[in-house]
Amino acid sequence: MIIIGENIHVIAKDVSVAIRERNATVIQGLAKEQTQSGAHYIDLNVGPMKKDTEETMKWLVNCVQDVTGLPLSIDTMNPVAMEAGLKYCKKRALINSASGKTDSKAQMLPLAKKYNCEVVISVMTDKGMPPEVESKIESIMETVSHANELGIPNEDIWVDPIILPVSTAGEGQNIAVGNLEFIKILQDVLPGVKSTVGLSNISNGVPAHLRPILNRTYLVMLAKNGLYSAIADPLDEELMAFMRGELPQITDLIHRTMDGEEIDLSPLSQKEAAYVKTARVLMAQSLYSDAWLEI
Amino acid sequence: MEYKAPKEAYKGNVREVTIGKGDKALKIGGENILPLHFFDEGTLPNPPRFVLEVLDMEPTEKTPHLLEPFGDAISDPIKWAKKCEGFGVDAICLTLISTDPAEKDAPAEGAAQLVKRMLGELKKPLIVYGSGDDKKDAEVLPKVAQVCAGENLLIGPVQKENYEVVGKAILDNGHVAIAQSPLDINLLKELNVKLCKFLPPERVVIDPLSSALGYGIEYSFSLIERVKQIGVITKDSMTMMPIIANLGDECWKTKQAKENKTQGLLWEGMTALSLYLAGANILVLRHPETLKLIKDTIGR
Repeated sequence: MIIIGENIHVIAKDVSVAIRERNATVIQGLAKEQTQSGAHYIDLNVGPMKKDTEETMKWLVNCVQDVTGLPLSIDTMNPVAMEAGLKYCKKRALINSASGKTDSKAQMLPLAKKYNCEVVISVMTDKGMPPEVESKIESIMETVSHANELGIPNEDIWVDPIILPVSTAGEGQNIAVGNLEFIKILQDVLPGVKSTVGLSNISNGVPAHLRPILNRTYLVMLAKNGLYSAIADPLDEELMAFMRGELPQITDLIHRTMDGEEIDLSPLSQKEAAYVKTARVLMAQSLYSDAWLEI
Repeated sequence: MEYKAPKEAYKGNVREVTIGKGDKALKIGGENILPLHFFDEGTLPNPPRFVLEVLDMEPTEKTPHLLEPFGDAISDPIKWAKKCEGFGVDAICLTLISTDPAEKDAPAEGAAQLVKRMLGELKKPLIVYGSGDDKKDAEVLPKVAQVCAGENLLIGPVQKENYEVVGKAILDNGHVAIAQSPLDINLLKELNVKLCKFLPPERVVIDPLSSALGYGIEYSFSLIERVKQIGVITKDSMTMMPIIANLGDECWKTKQAKENKTQGLLWEGMTALSLYLAGANILVLRHPETLKLIKDTIGR
């Protein structure tokens, strides 16, 4: 599993302040920590970046490249900021992200060809987020085909089905199940493409101390279905241990839950039982509530 | 080829909850089929129960066509309740609105004594709602529970802010809780999980909040429908409780219901009928003619 380290993002106040004040220590600290923890890419989520775009991107990209040899994922919806960042990337970068929206197809996708880099393409279209697995597949096939016409091969495309919070009343759990299905069939419909997800969105809105177990369980589940990469927190040691295959027993329990087995919780440790309960919620076998571990 | 209609059998079973005691006892819920799925395998042992609501003080909102059937009784909650019994209800719902800090902020003790006196006068079981102010209810509802210990009242709303203190008083004094959450199935389940850590699930009834026609009834409808589906189809223990739809007051707050009588009756009637179809086990109404209208409609 390729892990794209998510920790440099402007939603975090210390990061946005550090970028504004050109405080390299904070940014480089995060880059180094993520590199040492085993990340494969460093994501630079800079938001829309409407001001001092050119200069800021140059500073940020160079600042990070000074302390890590990892390739970068430039994370912005603004094509001007994207291009400004790509110009300074030493390694083959990842555009994060393009989509099936008209603007994105016209302005973002061509940058992948121009700068010979890889590109995340989400299932979004002008109509928004396609609701069903079938319509997601339909929309991504259309956008990927457009990308192919621009000269971007499937191997350079990282498909993103868009993860939404599992706790969203009503639909959250069904969407979580749908995205597992999407990843499972992706290779059949678009051979050679890679895949990625914004993992932590699965636990958005959930009490902070309960977020990691949702993120980890869902990543193990997605991995079983063939997910190639995830934008995630490499500083979560247990998450990384799962990805290195160091927790085979719990992984097996999660897989069996996915396969519909009704696992008896009584002989399990508290931790093992918690993972099974979480997998049940993510498979929509049991209705979500913030108290899902307390049952 | 002969056509054979499919017949579903379900795993789950809505718990049968008893409120009141002795010859006043009333059973609610207990079904192991989806609402109105009489063609499937299973039964609905207890039909939906119809309740009229009385307030513990003279209403400040004086909609004439809503208050007219009760005459002078609206200034005396016990007379009002007895009048309601005459209209053929399964139970009476007393709302302690006077205890609301935004109304009279009446003290808990007086409210509890009123419940006790009313209990002695009624032939039907009693449902007691606090004002809905979670802090004040945390004083009022435990007091009601203590003063009426052993009477098996249905008491609420128990909310996430006060479930520990109110739930404990309900447990200790032998009553049944109305667990109320704000129109969200995940929050509804969470509250039930927390409450049922100390309260037996047979002592819990769900109030998902009931919005009136034109004011969000779709949310209440699909929520009630979903709670039933998840309980009956997937056997989710924490949603297998009967549901109370407390809709009367919500309907009579609307401009449309206040405007004229026919419109008001239809507004409350359509709201009640819809939530009945969704699967509510207890329907709380305000107007006796709505009660008649809906009973005639569903042919009870």
